[in-house]
Amino acid sequence: MNRSWIYVFIGGLIEVVWVSGLKHADSALAWIVTVLAMIASFYLIMKAASRLPVGTVYAVFTGLGTGGTVVGEMLLFGEPFQWSKTLLIALLLAGVVGLKLVTDRDAQEGSGA
Amino acid sequence: MAWIALVIAGCSEVFGVIGMKGVTTGKGWKALMLMVLSFVISFSLLSYAMKSLPMGTSYAVWTGIGTVGSTITGMFLYGEQKSVLRVLFIAMILAAALGLKLIS
Repeated sequence: MNRSWIYVFIGGLIEVVWVSGLKHADSALAWIVTVLAMIASFYLIMKAASRLPVGTVYAVFTGLGTGGTVVGEMLLFGEPFQWSKTLLIALLLAGVVGLKLVTDRDAQEGSGA
Repeated sequence: MAWIALVIAGCSEVFGVIGMKGVTTGKGWKALMLMVLSFVISFSLLSYAMKSLPMGTSYAVWTGIGTVGSTITGMFLYGEQKSVLRVLFIAMILAAALGLKLIS
């Protein structure tokens, strides 16, 4: 796994923090953390977008943010567990892994990343 | 009105991504301004639309326009690969994100 993909994944994880923050933050400290998380996640995906296709980076970033937020709501905020959600998250991850594999393969072949 | 705001929000998101690409290719502070302004406009209009439309629907339309728009922009503006597999995987991610927001 190259460094740019690690940036996308960490950026997506941090996105979960600020999306949850937008919804649940209720103190000055929580809002500061939310804004810092927003800056950090955008910084990381910009670093990733300098190496990877911007369409790929954006799809993975928003996808991980959405999936991660749903998982976070189930684990931390007491949303009920649902099989339909779990299956959709599996589909999402399959899409991300597939996209990573085709992007890396094309980059190695040198046909433009 | 909420629907118009939502469509403009989706389009601003694509401009945000164009700004992001600009920053990474050394276009400097103008690209950064474009990115920050576009995302601020986009998030504000999204939250405005969510006041009168269901949240799941608003988010689905917004992220759908953003993801499809950035993929098309990447392919036609920056010459990113147009392979069937790549489009398929992006469609999978999009479908899953839409599904999650619509059932939540």
